[in-house]
Amino acid sequence: MAPDRGPPSSSHSNNTKNTYLVYAAAALLRLFLFGAFPGAGALLEGRVEVGSCVCGFKARTGKAKTTSTPQAPLLLALFSLIPTPHFHLITALLYITLDLLAAHALVRIAESHQAERTRLFKSPRTGEGWDSWIIPAAYLFNPFIIATCIGRPTSVFTSLAILWSVAHAVGDKPMSAMVGLGVATYLSMYPALLVGPMVLLGYDRQEEEKARIGASGKRGDEAEAAEGNEKEASSSIWLFAAKHTAVFTAGLAWLLYISYILTGGSWEFISSTYGVQLLVPDLTPNVGLWWYFFIEMFDSFREFFLGVFWLHLGGYVGGLCIRLRKQPLFVVVTMMGIFAIFKPYPTIGDTGLWLSMLPLYRHVFGLMRYTFFAVSALLYACLLGPAFYHLWVYAGSGNANFFYAITLVWSLGLVLILADSLFAVLRDEWEVERPEMRGKEIRQI
Amino acid sequence: MDDGPDSMEQDDRSGIVKGEEASGTASRQPKRPPPETPENVWLRQRVVTSFWIVVILLGVPVWLWTTSIPRSGLPLEDMQAWADGRACKPAFPLRISIQAPDLQKAEAEHLTRLTQHALDDQNEFSAHHLRLKLRGGAHSSIHLNGSVSNEVSATDNNLDLFVDPTRTEDDALTVRLETDSTLTSTEAELQDHSRLLRILHPGHLVPSITSSTSSLSGYIAAKLQELFYEEQGMIEYILTSSHTLSGQSTHQSSSASRDSRPRSSRLIHPELAAKLASRMTRSVQYAPTYHLTFSLFTPAATPSNWEIESAIVENLSPLLDALSVVSNFTVDTQVQLHAKFAPSVHPPEFDETAGVWTLRDEDLSGFVNAAEWPLSPSIGEGSTLNFILYVPESQHTPLVVKSNHASNWLVPQWGGVSILNLADDDGTSRGKILSKAMIQPPLLIFSHQLLSLLGAPQTPQSLPLQLQTLTRTRAASLLLSASSTMGSLARLTVALPSIAIPETVSTAVESTLDHLRSTCSALKAGHFQQALNHARIAEAQAERGFFEKSMVGQVYFPDEHKVAVYLPLLGPIGVPLLMNALKEVRKAFAARRAKRRVG
Repeated sequence: MAPDRGPPSSSHSNNTKNTYLVYAAAALLRLFLFGAFPGAGALLEGRVEVGSCVCGFKARTGKAKTTSTPQAPLLLALFSLIPTPHFHLITALLYITLDLLAAHALVRIAESHQAERTRLFKSPRTGEGWDSWIIPAAYLFNPFIIATCIGRPTSVFTSLAILWSVAHAVGDKPMSAMVGLGVATYLSMYPALLVGPMVLLGYDRQEEEKARIGASGKRGDEAEAAEGNEKEASSSIWLFAAKHTAVFTAGLAWLLYISYILTGGSWEFISSTYGVQLLVPDLTPNVGLWWYFFIEMFDSFREFFLGVFWLHLGGYVGGLCIRLRKQPLFVVVTMMGIFAIFKPYPTIGDTGLWLSMLPLYRHVFGLMRYTFFAVSALLYACLLGPAFYHLWVYAGSGNANFFYAITLVWSLGLVLILADSLFAVLRDEWEVERPEMRGKEIRQI
Repeated sequence: MDDGPDSMEQDDRSGIVKGEEASGTASRQPKRPPPETPENVWLRQRVVTSFWIVVILLGVPVWLWTTSIPRSGLPLEDMQAWADGRACKPAFPLRISIQAPDLQKAEAEHLTRLTQHALDDQNEFSAHHLRLKLRGGAHSSIHLNGSVSNEVSATDNNLDLFVDPTRTEDDALTVRLETDSTLTSTEAELQDHSRLLRILHPGHLVPSITSSTSSLSGYIAAKLQELFYEEQGMIEYILTSSHTLSGQSTHQSSSASRDSRPRSSRLIHPELAAKLASRMTRSVQYAPTYHLTFSLFTPAATPSNWEIESAIVENLSPLLDALSVVSNFTVDTQVQLHAKFAPSVHPPEFDETAGVWTLRDEDLSGFVNAAEWPLSPSIGEGSTLNFILYVPESQHTPLVVKSNHASNWLVPQWGGVSILNLADDDGTSRGKILSKAMIQPPLLIFSHQLLSLLGAPQTPQSLPLQLQTLTRTRAASLLLSASSTMGSLARLTVALPSIAIPETVSTAVESTLDHLRSTCSALKAGHFQQALNHARIAEAQAERGFFEKSMVGQVYFPDEHKVAVYLPLLGPIGVPLLMNALKEVRKAFAARRAKRRVG
C-alpha cells in the first residue's frame, strides 16, 4: 500500500496508466450505449428516477423557448447553440466529456489523500485506501452515473461544478474552488449550503501548504511545524472565510448578471429557476421525499413545511462542520449524501455522485456495520421502484403509495449508508484518542 | 433518520466501551471508561448549540411567519350597514318627457304640472316615482321636482330622436300629446317596439292656465300609472322581500333568512303580490351569462335537421341584442332523433271529440326525459336555459296538453317546451328538414318564454319598456344580493376569528362597496343602465370575495388537527434535539456543582 509520503514512482506511473485505461473504457462503454441503444436516452430521460422535472432533458429542450423553464439561462443558451441535426451526437459527446472531467476531478481529490490525513488529523488507517485509479472507476462504472449520462439531465453540470470545486479546494486553489461553487449554485441553488465546509477545506489546505513550505525550509518535521503554525494562523480563519465568501458571492452575482443580459434585461428567470427549487410547485413524483408530502399537506401549512424541509436540509451544515472540523472533505461528502436524500428534486444522478465519492473513504469501510442491510435495501428499491411506478402510472393497478413506499425504502437505505459512514469516520477519529480500542466492539451506555 | 449526526455523535462520545471479554480469562468486572476530555465535552456542546441556533434563529421565525393568519381589515361596519339597508335607500325616479308640439308653452307647462300632481297623489310607494319633464321648443326644457337633466336641449326639436331607444336611455318614456279635433274622447296608443306613448285628445280638454284640475291630466296620470303599475309592484316586492331573495343563495345562513321573512306588503295588491311571487319563483337567478340551448327532439327518424341558425338570426337575435344590456347570451343547438319519453310518462291518449292526441297535465313535469335526453345541466359559468322543440310521431299528431289544448309550456327556472305539430299530408311527405318558416312560431314562443324566465313583466306590451323594467329590477335585486353577501361575509368574519382574510378578499370587498355606492347614486340619479352595470360588477366582486378559496380552507380547522399536522414530522426531529439539549444542560449543572464542591 502507498506509504505516507507519496507512492513510489513505479506505482505512480502504473496508477496513471490504469486511470487512463479506465477513462478509455468508460468512454467506449458510453459510446457503445449511445450508439447501440439510440432510444435509451429518450427512455431514460422520461424516467422520474433519472430526470426530475427541474433538470430533465425535456425541461432543457422542449421548453427552451419559454421563460417558465426551470433551467439556468446560460445552460439554455449553451444548448440552443447545438445544431439540431446533430443534436443527439453532440450531446452524447458532451455528456461523455462531462463524465470524464468529473472522474478526473475525483482522481485529483483522491491523489491529494485528504480523506486519510488532513491538517488536523491523520487516520490510523492511512494507507489502507484504494489506489487512486479505482476511484474514477467507481464513478464511471457506477450504473446510476451511466444511466444519468445516457438520460442527459442538466444535474450533471452541477455535479461536475461541485467536483471541480472540491478538486480545486484540495489542490490549494481556494479562490477557483469558490468560483466553481458559485457556478454550481448558479445552476442548482442547493450547493450554496456547501460554502461553509468548502471554506474550511480551502483554509485547511492553504495552511497545510504554508506549513509544508515552511517546514521544508527549516527541514523540520512536518507535523510539528503544522502544529506550531496552527496557533498563529488560526486568527485569520475569519478573514479567510469573509474573503472567500465574497468571491463566491461575486462569482454568483456575475453569472446572474450575464443571465440578466442574456434574457433581455429581465430578472424573471430568477423566479422561474430558483423559485421552482425553493417553493417546489411541481409535485411530479421523483425519488425524493418531498413530492408526496406536499401533495398530502394542507394548503395553509404548505409554506411552513417548505421552511421546515429547507431548514432540515440546511441545519446539518453547522453541526457537521463543528463535529468534523478535522475532516472538512468528509463534511462535503456527507452533505452530498444529505442532498441526494433530502433535497426537493433528487435524482439517481445525485445518489450516484455521492456513492462515487464514498470510496475515497475506503479505509473506514471496515468500520461500517450495516453495509449488507443498506445495500439490500437499495437493490430492493432499484428493482421494485420502476415496477411500482409502472403499476401506478401505466397499468393503473397501484396507486401513489406504492411508489412512495419504495422511495421511502430507497431513502432508508441511503440514510443507513450515510449514518454508517459517519459512524465509521467518527470511530476512526476516536481511535486516534484511544488507540488501544482498535478492532474492538463498542457499545453506547 | 433526522437524528443521524446527533445519535452518531452520541455513539462515540459518550459511548463507553465495553472491552471485549477476551475469552473469559479477564475478570467479569466491566472496565471503567476513561473520563471524557474537556475538548470533547466542549465539542458536543457546540454541536447541540449549532442545531438549536438553527431552530431558534431560523425555525421559530419561519414558523411564526408562515402560520400567522393573514387578516386584512374589512370595513365590517359598512358591510353590515349595506346588508341592513341602512347604507342606501334605493330610489327609482323614472323620467318621462312630455312633448306637446301643438300647445302653447305655458299651457303645456301647466298641464305637466297638473299631471305631476295627479301622479304624486296616486303614488303610494315613494321609492318608485315618475317625474315628468316637458320637452317643447328649443328653450323650454322644464324639469320638475328639481331633477336635473343633462340632456342637450338643442336636440329636443327632433321628434324622431325619442323613438330611437338608444338615444334617450335615461328617459323611461316619452309622452306625445297630439291634438286631433275629430276625436270625441282621449285615446292613448303605445306601440310594441317603442317607448313613445301617443295621447290623442280633442283640443278642448287642455286645461286653462288658471284651472286647478283637468280631465286630460288625470287621464295621462292614470295611463302612466297603469303602464308602470306592474314594475312598481315588482320593485316593491324585491325590496321588501330582499332577505328571501338572498336566502335563495346557498351561503346565506339559514337563521339569518329565517328571522327576516318578508314582511307582508301593505302596498302591493295581494293578487298582484301572489302573481309576482309565482313569477319570481319561475324566473331563473340572475347570471351575467346565460347559455341558451335549443334542442330538436323527435321520437321518429325525421325531421333530422332544422334551419335553426338562420331562424335564430332572424327571430331571436334582435331580442338577444336588446337583452344584452342585462346579460350576455350564448346559443347552442342540437338535434336528437329517436328520443323516447321516460317510462313513467303515459303515452299520448287520443281525444275523440277534438280529434287530437293529448298529454295528461300531470305528465308535463316528466315530459323532459332528463335521464336519456342529452341536456347538459350547465356549460361553464352561468346558467343554462333549455328550449325544446318536440316534433311528435306522425301517428300521434297533433299532440297537445289535455286541459287547455296548448302546445307549449314553461318549465320554471329551467326553460321551455314547444310541441310542433307538423301538418301531415296524409303521412306521405314528412320533410327531413324543418324550414325556417316552420320553426318561426315556436321560436317566437321561445322568445316569450325567455323573457318570462328572465323575469320581465307581462305589461306593458312594449319591448323597450319591458327591457327597462328588467334593467331596473335586475339592478335592484343585484344591489340587494351583493349587499346581503357583504353582510354574510361581515358576520362570518366576526364569528370565525381563526379564518384567514387574504388581501384579495379585502380588495374585493372594497370594490364591491365602491360599486354598490355607484349603483345607489346612479339609481337615485335615474341612470339605470349605469346602475345595472355597477351592480353587476358589485355582485361579481362580492361573490369572488365570499368564495375566496384560501379562506374557506381553514374554516373548519380545530386546534386538535394542528397537533396531527405538526407532530408526525416535527416529533422525530424535535425529540432528539430536546433530549440532547436537556442532557447537556443537566451535565453542565452537575459539572458546576462538582467543581464547587471540590473548590
